Amino acid sequence: MIETDILVVGGGPAGISAALACGRNNIKTVLIEERDFLGGQLIKQTHRFFGSKEERAGSRGIRIAEDLMNEIKKNKNIDLYLDARALGYYEEEKIFTVLQNGRMLKFSPRKLIIATGAFEKSLSFENNDLPGIYGAGAVQTLMNIYGVKPAERVLMIGSGNIGLIVSYQLIQAGVQVVGVIEAAPEIGGYAVHASKIRRLGVPLYTSHTIKKAIGNEFVTGAEIIELDRNWNEIKGTEKKIDCDCICLSVGLSPLVDILSQSGCEMVYIPELGGEVPVRNENMQTSIDNIYVAGDLAGIEEATAAMLEGELAGLCAANTFINDVKQDERIEKIKNNLEVLRSGPKGSKIRSGLNKLIKGETFFQGGRNTGSEIEAFKKTGIPSGENLRSILPDEKRINETPFALIECFQEIPCDPCVNNCPFGAITEGTDINNLPKIDYSKCTGCGSCISRCPGLAIFLINKNYSENTSTVSMPYEMLPVPQKGEIVDVLDREGKKIVSGKVVKVLKNEKMDKTNVISVEIPKEFFNVARNIRLVK
Amino acid sequence: MMKEDNIIVCRCEDVTLKDIRELIKRGYTNIEEIKRITRCGMGPCQGKNCGQIILREISMITGIPVEKLTLQRYRPPFGGIKFSEVLGENNDEK
Repeated sequence: MIETDILVVGGGPAGISAALACGRNNIKTVLIEERDFLGGQLIKQTHRFFGSKEERAGSRGIRIAEDLMNEIKKNKNIDLYLDARALGYYEEEKIFTVLQNGRMLKFSPRKLIIATGAFEKSLSFENNDLPGIYGAGAVQTLMNIYGVKPAERVLMIGSGNIGLIVSYQLIQAGVQVVGVIEAAPEIGGYAVHASKIRRLGVPLYTSHTIKKAIGNEFVTGAEIIELDRNWNEIKGTEKKIDCDCICLSVGLSPLVDILSQSGCEMVYIPELGGEVPVRNENMQTSIDNIYVAGDLAGIEEATAAMLEGELAGLCAANTFINDVKQDERIEKIKNNLEVLRSGPKGSKIRSGLNKLIKGETFFQGGRNTGSEIEAFKKTGIPSGENLRSILPDEKRINETPFALIECFQEIPCDPCVNNCPFGAITEGTDINNLPKIDYSKCTGCGSCISRCPGLAIFLINKNYSENTSTVSMPYEMLPVPQKGEIVDVLDREGKKIVSGKVVKVLKNEKMDKTNVISVEIPKEFFNVARNIRLVK
Repeated sequence: MMKEDNIIVCRCEDVTLKDIRELIKRGYTNIEEIKRITRCGMGPCQGKNCGQIILREISMITGIPVEKLTLQRYRPPFGGIKFSEVLGENNDEK
C-alpha cells in the first residue's frame, strides 16, 4: 500500500497542472499516467496557443509541455508513475488500484484528482470501418509523435479547432487536404484557423455531412451531401471527393469511467460533451475527496484545462494547508477562467456549466453571437466590408509601412497587444475584444506578425517602389524561400494571382519557426496577396 | 437508401446500426440491455466509441431526450490484469 496526500490521475495539461499546484505547496503527490510519457495532447500541439499572456498565449503547446514536464521531474514532492494505468477506485476502503508493468499497485490517497481527459467521438456512416478512416487524434499522433505521413489526400470531417489545426498540420507535413466539411452552417473553431487553411487553397463545405466512404479494400473517396436548416439531407446535392483518408474530428467525449464507477453523481450535458461529473466551483465532485479537472469535466481548450488543474490542485491542497496566498490565487484562477469563457465563442461552455449545478449559476453575463451568421464565420474569408473596417485612411496607407490585423471574430487572445513595442495595439479591458491599431503609433516594424497565434497579421508597404508594394506575411512551411526567389503569390482563397519576388526573409529563434516573408507584387494586389507558394 | 448493415456502431464487437435499430424497435430501449444482448461496450474500448451513438439512436426512436436516458455503467478494473495479481499466486509481495 502506497500512502500519499494527493493522487492525480492523468498526465495531460490538467493533471500536470494539478500535481504541480500540490507539489509546489510541499504536499506529497503521486501522478500516474497511462503512457510512458507525460504531456497528453499538449505534445502534439505544434500551434501557438490563444488566451492571455499569463497563460502563455502565443507559445506553442509543445513548448508549454516541455516546461511543465521539466518542473514535474524537478519537484521532489511529486512521485511520477509512467506506464501506469488506473484500474479502479474503491470508495469504502479509499483504495485506488493501478496497473504498472503487469503488477497491481494499491494507493491510499487522502484526496484524488481525476484528470483523464477525453476521447474522440465516432460517427456512423456507410462503410465507416474501411481502412483509411482515422480519428484526428490518431492522425496527429502518427505525424507529430512518430513522424509518419498518414495519407496522401485527406478529407477532414468537422471544422472545430482540432479539425482546422490538424488540417493545417497535415499540409505542413506535405499531405494534401482535399476539403473540410462541417454539418453546422458556420465554422466550429476559430475563424482565423479556417483562414489559414483557406489561404492554402483548402475548400470548406459548411452545412455538409459525409454520407459514405467509398472503396473496397481501403478508402478511395467519400460521398458528401448538403444539409438544410433542419439538418436534413438535400437530395441531389451528393458530391464525390477523391481521397485516401477520411479524418474524423467530430468532437470529444469526457472520459469519466473512473468517476462513474466511484459513485460520483453524473449528469448528461450535451454542451459539455456528454456525461460529466456534477461538481462545484472548486472542482470538487459529489464525493468530497474526489476533484476533477480538464476535459472530463467538460470539453474545452488546453488553456482552460491547465487553469482547472491548478484550481483543483489548490482546492484539494487547501484541505491540508491554510495559506491566505492560495485563496488569492484560487480567486484569480476562477476569474481568469471566467474571462476565457466570457466571449461569444464561450457561449456553449457557459450554457453547459450553468446546467451543471442546480440552483447555482456559474455565469451571469457573457456575450453571445447574433443569430445571423457573418460570411467570415461561414467561409473563413473576410468580406469586403470586414476588410474596409480595418484599413487605415488613404493618407496613412500611402505614407509608411503599416500592420493589418485580419481578426474579425471575438476570441480570447492578446499576444499582439502584449508584443507591440510601441503600444500601438489595444483591445480594451476584455481579452475577447477585437484588437485595434492606433496608426499614429504603428511604425510598421512587423514584430507582431510572428506573434499572432491566428497568423492573421500582415505588414503592407504600399509604396515599395513606383509600381510595386510589398506584403510581409507569416510563413510556417518548409522549405523557407530564399531572398530573391520568384514565388507564386496567392489570395485569401489560395488562388494564384501573380508571380512575386521575395525581398526579405525574417527568421530567428525568438520567432520560433513562424518566419516572415516579404514579397514584392504589383501595387494593385497589396490588399489581395496573403500567401505564397514556392515554384518547383 | 442507406445501407444500415454497412454502418458499424461498435468496432470492438462488430455490431451494425441495423442490429441496434432492430433491437430498439423490439423494445430494448436501455443501453444496459443492448450491451448484454450485443456485447456493445464489452470490448476493449468499453463503450467509448459506441456508447454515445447508441444513446442517440435510442433517443431518436423513442423520442426521449438523451439527458433522461439511463447511462452506461462502468465497472473496474479498467485494464486487463492477470488472475495471479488479484489472487496473490506467485506474488512476491510479503
